[in-house]
Amino acid sequence: MFLTRSEYDRGVNTFSPEGRLFQVEYAIEAIKLGSTAIGISTSQGVVLAVEKRITSQLMEPTTIEKIVEVDKHIGCAVSGLIADSRTMIDRARIECQNHWFVYNENMTVESCAQAVSNLAIQFGDSDDDGAAMSRPFGVAILFAGIDEKGPQLYHMDPSGTFVQFDAKAIGSGSEGAQQSLQEVYHKSMTLEEATTSALTILKQVMEEKLNSSNVEVMTMTPDKLFHMFSKDQVEEALTRGLLVEHPVTLTVGQKA
Amino acid sequence: MSLVVKPNFPDYQTAPVQRGFNPYADNGGSVVAIAGDDFVIIGADTRLSAGFSIYTREQNKLFPLSSTTVLGCSGCWCDTLTLTRILKSRMQMYQQEHNKTMSTTACAQMLSTMLYYKRFFPYYISNVLVGLDNDGKGVVYSYDPIGHCEKRTHRAGGSAGALLQPLLDNQIGKKNMLNVKEEPVSQQRALSIIKDVFISAAERDIYTGDSILINIITKDGIKEETFQLRKD
Repeated sequence: MFLTRSEYDRGVNTFSPEGRLFQVEYAIEAIKLGSTAIGISTSQGVVLAVEKRITSQLMEPTTIEKIVEVDKHIGCAVSGLIADSRTMIDRARIECQNHWFVYNENMTVESCAQAVSNLAIQFGDSDDDGAAMSRPFGVAILFAGIDEKGPQLYHMDPSGTFVQFDAKAIGSGSEGAQQSLQEVYHKSMTLEEATTSALTILKQVMEEKLNSSNVEVMTMTPDKLFHMFSKDQVEEALTRGLLVEHPVTLTVGQKA
Repeated sequence: MSLVVKPNFPDYQTAPVQRGFNPYADNGGSVVAIAGDDFVIIGADTRLSAGFSIYTREQNKLFPLSSTTVLGCSGCWCDTLTLTRILKSRMQMYQQEHNKTMSTTACAQMLSTMLYYKRFFPYYISNVLVGLDNDGKGVVYSYDPIGHCEKRTHRAGGSAGALLQPLLDNQIGKKNMLNVKEEPVSQQRALSIIKDVFISAAERDIYTGDSILINIITKDGIKEETFQLRKD
């Protein structure tokens, strides 16, 4: 991929002769350094699970927040440059609230992803809106939400492309995790099964041992909407999942 | 006693001349709407007037915004033209942005915010928005010029609004009556009440008359109907 690298990877607003925007491609590469996040959409709801990298014993794990609430009916998991993600989450929240203010209804998950995608491609030369971002955002986002179309999962990358998925993994372990998701996922999956699968796969792609303080879990269900698992609930999900042997032998992909 | 005589220089004593500009016109007109369980009817007269002169006897004041939503406007006609054009474009933008048609409830809230955004130079319109809600039930929303929105089952607005509202309250709301049985209003009865109240309004209100245009909104779409009133 980078064999053809040339002067064309300097500016964010210059295409290479082959028609590529290298800075955007590098931003997508940056995601692969981030912590792994997994999302699975079922008919009962959506589950998000992310790994938290605890780099020091003295670190307070609860201050790392990689799953956030955008609105009561939309939650996000992020991977990549977390500082960049704050800006995007901020936009998502504003768009959701503005939609509610103007239309007195919940914003759809797709529209929310669309709104954030509009922000994601506002890099390069600044336009009428004032100062633009000087580079692409180095974040991939999983949007988990419920609207009139039911539970949905959307993935968005730094190029602003957003696609709906049944199950999607982002971050350093994403290649292996995505492979595993493909084997595990089926249409009639329950939310509990999905939670267990997400944690099992996360465990396999993580470098550290999985425990209740280095993983975040969230479910999005029609009755509870955004629900972040407490430490106890994570522990319960872990014991429930890891005691039972998984039906499918999982092939673990690359580790970062 | 003061002996000082005040000098009299008329050229320097003229008070500042105040010239007024009134940006609003009242072009009259009335709108009446009644909601039922699975339908909603809205009617508006077709007279457009200013003072004692009539601009036209056949002005439609009902604006379909979607297949389930209709807006009725009366008041300043130029404001109505602008507001309805903006609404039409907002409906289209919503459709393209969110890949769905705006619901009546969403439209009702949007109209309220649009009106409030012109809080200090309002659209001088009395708006009545009708449609079917997400459950297919008929709904009527009425507004004041600065965006106060109220959901009702029946509403009379415009120049004969104050004249007709008590009549509707009595006939549809069954107010101030003894031993009335609660029953949902039928489409047929709602239609005949609307025709009746407009006949009454045309008798007393010079800004209401000529004819009425009626939109009947059901799940099958919007049906139009006209009815002649006195033309004097």
